[in-house]
Formats: sequence, structure tokens, C-alpha cells
Amino acid sequence: MPALLEIRDLVKVYSRDTRALDGISLDIRRGEFVVLIGLSGSGKSTLLRCINRLVEPTSGQVIFEGSDVTHARGPDLRRIRTRIGMIFQQFNLVKRSSVFANVLAGRLGYRSPWRTIASRPSREDVALAFENLERVSILEKAYVRADALSGGQQQRVGIARALMQRPQLMLADEPVASLDPATSHSVLRYLEEINKTDGITVICSLHFLSLARRYGTRVIALKAGRVAFDGKPAEIDERRFKEIYGEDAVEVEIGVNRTAEEQRADEARKVLDPRALSDAATDAAVVERLGPGADR
Amino acid sequence: MAEYFVARGLPVPPELRRTPLTDWRRWSAIGATLAVLYVGVRLLDIDLSRANPQYAGTRIISLLQWDLSILTPQNEFETFWDTAGGLMIVTIFLGVVATAISIVFALPLAFLGARNITTGNPVASAIYGVARVLFTVMRSIDVLIVVIIFAVIFGLGSAAGVFGLAFHNIGVLGKLYSEAIEGIDPGPSEAITATGATRFQVVWAAVLPQIVNPFISFSIYRLDANVRLAPVLGFVGGGGIGQYLFQTINLFQYNKAGLIIFMIVITVAAMDFASAQIRRRLL
Repeated sequence: MPALLEIRDLVKVYSRDTRALDGISLDIRRGEFVVLIGLSGSGKSTLLRCINRLVEPTSGQVIFEGSDVTHARGPDLRRIRTRIGMIFQQFNLVKRSSVFANVLAGRLGYRSPWRTIASRPSREDVALAFENLERVSILEKAYVRADALSGGQQQRVGIARALMQRPQLMLADEPVASLDPATSHSVLRYLEEINKTDGITVICSLHFLSLARRYGTRVIALKAGRVAFDGKPAEIDERRFKEIYGEDAVEVEIGVNRTAEEQRADEARKVLDPRALSDAATDAAVVERLGPGADR
Repeated sequence: MAEYFVARGLPVPPELRRTPLTDWRRWSAIGATLAVLYVGVRLLDIDLSRANPQYAGTRIISLLQWDLSILTPQNEFETFWDTAGGLMIVTIFLGVVATAISIVFALPLAFLGARNITTGNPVASAIYGVARVLFTVMRSIDVLIVVIIFAVIFGLGSAAGVFGLAFHNIGVLGKLYSEAIEGIDPGPSEAITATGATRFQVVWAAVLPQIVNPFISFSIYRLDANVRLAPVLGFVGGGGIGQYLFQTINLFQYNKAGLIIFMIVITVAAMDFASAQIRRRLL
């Protein structure tokens, strides 16, 4: 089966000295939940934005469902974009508009520009909007202004908006970096749900290694614009962790309630992850930290 | 202050080491200011010897002895619209119509003059530059001069006033609007672009909702300003009550002029108050 998304030698140079992406080649298969990890500035956001051309790659190729994204123009590019949903760290909702209006906006790519202003949203679009709001359990907030919602709720609206596109691929750019650990799990569970139930492929960048292990079926680590690791989440041991995050990096825990299933998964991981041995009792979300003075 | 540091054996910060009296920069600034003022006063040749307090006194009194006849039609050829009251209303609408015209033109131009909307290729950048230069040129010509030019084109009267005021105001509103557009949160636009929407749809769904309030606020502010400017335009041929006031002053009819000035003051004050109230309620 051909890959859903093929990335070939992707390079993005911002200015003379900053190579955000330095030759990335990847095949993403249908149904995967890919977690992108790596330090800030390692190229995660740039890679995600090159996939739907929010950022223009300098060279290389992105092929999505067999069509070349990198050379698509105008209507072709927009048609590709309708099949790729995206959610953002800052949620990127229109704060002054209602939740409903925000979700409905996810459908714009399927509507002609003049219909956007000339007519009311179609019955099907309205129905789909309510369906997706229900899906992320936020139906009762439909007519509330978006900025009246909590961070976790706003991100769920973001997911509902992206679902309006009926996407094949969902890009998530640090979707939980602005959220607390408990809310992070709730948002990621919705992503996991659409991944498993709808078979939507997910590419999600995360800062929490434990979240990557919990939700990812595949982890790709970027380091200075190159792929530093590509494999199963469980394969990231102490040595690999240091390779990705640098010699000074330490894993730091923050507390989150875990399910029995997740705890069993931790037990199983002990064999592979020497760190889990020492702090299995409270092991939870893991934050990467770069030595003293470098914390962000 | 410096003693605080000296007493504790700490190094005195450089800001405190200079005392005001020894700061030659301060003295040279004061000296330069005085020199400029001296030269200015000498150049202006201010001459108070021609002032005539007695004459001025009687004139000021006649400004307050209002001639109420200007409030009613004086012969069978005059209607209400020839009276001071009628002309005042005409003048208010001169400001209102000029504002409306300028909003219609400034709105689309503002998007062309916003860096974050008109971007992406050299043609867009050129359009952006042209729009911005246009705003600056339109704004930098004083409204009185614009009306003088328009009075040459359209002849004396309201047409020159309305179009002259609107022309100037397109420059002002265009700049204010486009800066409001440039100040929006770029996140929603990015998100809507990612859904496959066209640039127009992005503006419609992500930009417009964010700028409605500043747009309304700026528009009311300019409406207020334009109604305040409108009476003056008559002096240079822009029609309305200003033209009437100009006539009465030239004919030394100070008891008519005084009443007209009073009416303008009341109107402007009412406008000021109303626009402040509307903006407060709205936003």
C-alpha cells in the first residue's frame, strides 16, 4: 500500500544561517499516530507547516495521496488543504466569534467565495457542525463566544473545526503545550479517538515524552532539522533520549492520574526504560528539561 | 541620591554621577530653545500697536447681541433651508455624507494597504506600496486646501465641501483601518488558510470579525471630526453654514455672526458628547 504522505529531501532555509529543515525524508502510512518530538527550534512546526504549505519549503517534495503538494497552485493547493486538518498550540480560533461560527469556518474550503457572503450555511454544513461539536462534547457551548471557553475547550473546538473538513490527515502543532497535564490527556484522547474510529492519520508534535509514549504508534524525533530517531515509542531509552535532547537533558515528572491500563504499560516499559525503574510509583507525564538555566 | 551609594561603599551609578548643574547637555538644550524663540519673535515682528480695545469691545458686545432674524425666512424667496438653522443641518449632513463616502472607498483600500493581507508576491507588494503612498498623500494635504482645489473643479458650494472632505478622510481612515488590520491576531487567518479557503474567505471569516470594533470606533471618531470640520469649509468655498458665516463677517454683521458661531459651538459640543457616548456603549 502506498504511503498516505511521502516527504522527500525536504529543506527549508529561513535565512542564510538558519536551516530549519535539513533534508527530511519520511513515509507516513494511513492510520498512523505519529508523534514528532525534539527541542524547540528543531524544525517540528516548520515540518508540519510545509506539509500543507503554510510555510513554503525551499526544496524537496511533499506528496499527499499521490498528488504533489509542493508544486500545487491555487485551486489544486486548496483542494489538497481541505483534506488535511490542522490544530494549533494557540488554538487559533476567531475569539470574537461564536463556537458555532468557528466550527463552520472549517467548511470554507468546500464553499465558493461568493456563497460565503451571499448565502447562509447549508443545512448539511450546519448538521455536520453540530455533529462534530457533539463529538468533542462541547455542544452546549455552541453559541458562546470562543474566548469565553477554557483552553481545553478551545482546543476541542479547534478539533471540531478541523473535522469539518473530513480530513484524511490531521496535523497538530503542539496541541497541548498551552494546557495543563489533565486537560492535555483529554485533548489527546479526542485525537486518539478520531485516529482509531475514523482512521484519520495524525501527525502531532509534543513536548511531553510520556504523552508521546502513551499516544503515539510511531515517534519521529527531529534534531537540528534532521530525523534523529524514527521508530516505536517504546524504543526510546535513556541513550536515545540523550541523543535527541542532548547530554544535559533530564526527564522531569509532573503528576497526572493514570489508568490501570497505562500503569500496566509502564510496568512493561521498565524492561526497556531504565528511568522508569526508579520512579515507577509517580511516573507520569514527563517533561524534558535542558540542564540548569535553560528551562523554558 | 549619590550619597546613598557612597555611604555604603558602593559604586555610584553613572546616571547619578552627573549633577544637573554640570550637565552641559541640559544647558545647551535650554540655550538652543531660547535662541529659537528669540529668532522666532524677531522674525514675526509682533506688533500690538494696531490693537484697538475700544473698537474690539463694541464688536465683541455685538457678537453677543444676536440677530434672531436669521433663524426665520425673511422674504418669499427664502425657505427654511436658507435660514441659519437650515444651513446648520445641511452642514452636519455635509460631514455625515463625506464620512460615508470616505468609508466606502477606504474600506477596500485598507485591505490593500495592510501588510499582512496584501503580501505573497511582488505584485501584491507593489499594490501595498501604492495604497500606502496614496493614504499618505491624501492625508498630508490639508483639508482646507483640498476643498479650495475641489471648489475650482465643482464650483463653490456643498459639492466641493463634501468631496474635498471625503477625499481627505479616505487618507485618514485608510491609514487607521489598515493599521487595525495589521494589528490582528494572525492565528485565525493561518487556521482558516489551512482549511483550504481562498484569500478572500480568510479575510471574510478570520480578519473581518476581528476588526469590526476598531472599524466602528474609527468611523465614529472621524464622523465626529468631519462634522466639526464642516462649518469651516464654507470659508474656502465648501458651502453650508460656513459660507454664510463668512459672508456675515465680511459684511460686519457681527450680531448675526455671533449667533452662527454659538450654533456651531453647540452642535460641535453635542456631536462630541454623542460620539463619546456611542463609542462607550458600543465597545
